[in-house]
Amino acid sequence: MADWTELSEALADYTQTCNANERLRKMQRDWSRVLHFICSDSDVRFTMQVDHGEIVAVEPGHAGSPDIIVTTTSETFCDMFWGDLNPVQKYLRGEIVVKGTQEDVMRLDAISYVIWPDA
Amino acid sequence: MTRTTPSGPWQREIDFTPDAAVKAAALDEFARFINPQKVRVLRAAGLDVIESQRSGAWVWDRDGRRFLDCFTSAGSFNVGRRNPRIVAAAKAALDRLDHGNFLLASKEKADLAARLARVAPGDLSCVTFGTGGGEINDFAIKLARGSTRRPGIVSTINGYHGHTGFALSATGRAAYKEPFEPLMPGFTQVPYGDVDALNAALDETTAAVLLEPVQGEGGIVVAPPGYLAAARAACDRVGALLILDEIQTGLGRTGAWWASEHFGVVPDVMTTAKSLGGSIVPISAAVYTEELREFLIPNPFIHLSTFGGSDVACAVALEVLDVIEETGLVAHAAAMGERLFAGLYRLAGDYPDLVSEVRGLGLMAGIQYAEDAMGPRMSFLLARHGVLAIYSGNQPAVMRLMPSLVVEPDEVDFLLEALAGALGDLRAGVGPDETPRTRRRPARPAV
Repeated sequence: MADWTELSEALADYTQTCNANERLRKMQRDWSRVLHFICSDSDVRFTMQVDHGEIVAVEPGHAGSPDIIVTTTSETFCDMFWGDLNPVQKYLRGEIVVKGTQEDVMRLDAISYVIWPDA
Repeated sequence: MTRTTPSGPWQREIDFTPDAAVKAAALDEFARFINPQKVRVLRAAGLDVIESQRSGAWVWDRDGRRFLDCFTSAGSFNVGRRNPRIVAAAKAALDRLDHGNFLLASKEKADLAARLARVAPGDLSCVTFGTGGGEINDFAIKLARGSTRRPGIVSTINGYHGHTGFALSATGRAAYKEPFEPLMPGFTQVPYGDVDALNAALDETTAAVLLEPVQGEGGIVVAPPGYLAAARAACDRVGALLILDEIQTGLGRTGAWWASEHFGVVPDVMTTAKSLGGSIVPISAAVYTEELREFLIPNPFIHLSTFGGSDVACAVALEVLDVIEETGLVAHAAAMGERLFAGLYRLAGDYPDLVSEVRGLGLMAGIQYAEDAMGPRMSFLLARHGVLAIYSGNQPAVMRLMPSLVVEPDEVDFLLEALAGALGDLRAGVGPDETPRTRRRPARPAV
């Protein structure tokens, strides 16, 4: 099980990688969402706020009204934010559960594709 | 009509040399020159199929895998894929025709129009051709506005009518529309099946109500009893037109020539496309009343389409209508639909934790799963069991099953066995193998 410290490192790297990617930010410029994340194996919860394609906040706990809710284990979250797994494959195995529109689910995977195109 | 056979003869065995390398190269080229993310999603979902041999209800992947095609390009292959009669008609047409001069009259257009008028419901007897569903729904909306000189078009949430200008404005899914706004003014969407909402949306500025008798992309939602009749009455009350989009539901799909027949409702305009082309050519048509045609008498060139109702396509579509009629395909679809639904209800009873509802008409079936993610997961799992099926665009929890109408009882049983296997896999948590990646995550310090 990953603790909040490990998750924070993964999220910091992910945020830096996404926000530094001009192609991604341009592609996602019409995408503003509040994402809630739930660790299924611990009581860790966190919120990510995306504003016009930029990740502007990642905070512990849940804040705001979510557009998307993602639930999986803390280890899977860490691997996902480090780019060590294909989220669609986990989604199709039922190991990542996403509540939101299909368009937003596709967007989340498109982000992975753009920042880790060879993965 | 005596049924001869819906079955071609069809190929049941592979007749090409499988080649995984050719398939991989095709996917790579598609990714490079068309869309890499589309290929990535299809690969992950087990739907990275490069269609090769196609015959009847089946399609073969370039790597040799065979699938019972239950997507059929959203109901475009009613007469079977590469039906030998349709292929022969297309070849014969190509020996003597091209698409023709769109400004001139043509025998093929006239023949097909007359034939459509004969099979269309009620007093619908005038025809305009297009190339695809969106284009012909655009025309139907233009006809409604032109005839009534009113701006209002009422359609339904989760309704699907195409991706062109007027049709997209009528489509009830925000994700398809938002990046392109502002779209056409005067369009309103109301909840499907809600008579009160429909009545409230109509007034003397309404040109038309545009409905699918069964919402396809919306998740195989059959019009509730009385809904289409109420829509007809509401239109008559305010002087608006009723347009029925039969693009997925028509040409025998629901076990009737047109789904509107199940409800005893005759629209003012009916649109058809997809299967009209027999899986070979693009063609669509709007069929409407003589009264509406009056608008086009002083405006005979107001709606033009270079390829709409091309001579080759009309010749093929005529053969499609012949095949449907002469092989008794409508009754066959109804019978196969009964067999399919009997099996689906059994499965719903066996998997109540996974299947919430089974619904549909004829060979237009929808399985509502308990969760949204189960639609994509079942597409993946069904592909492993030899069935190509894709969840509804507007309702991912719903699996659309729309096989070719030529399916035989053993093929329906194959589908049901595949569904049972896939549901068992879903319950067991089966999914795609994970692709190994170079690890970026720092190693956890030893304690």
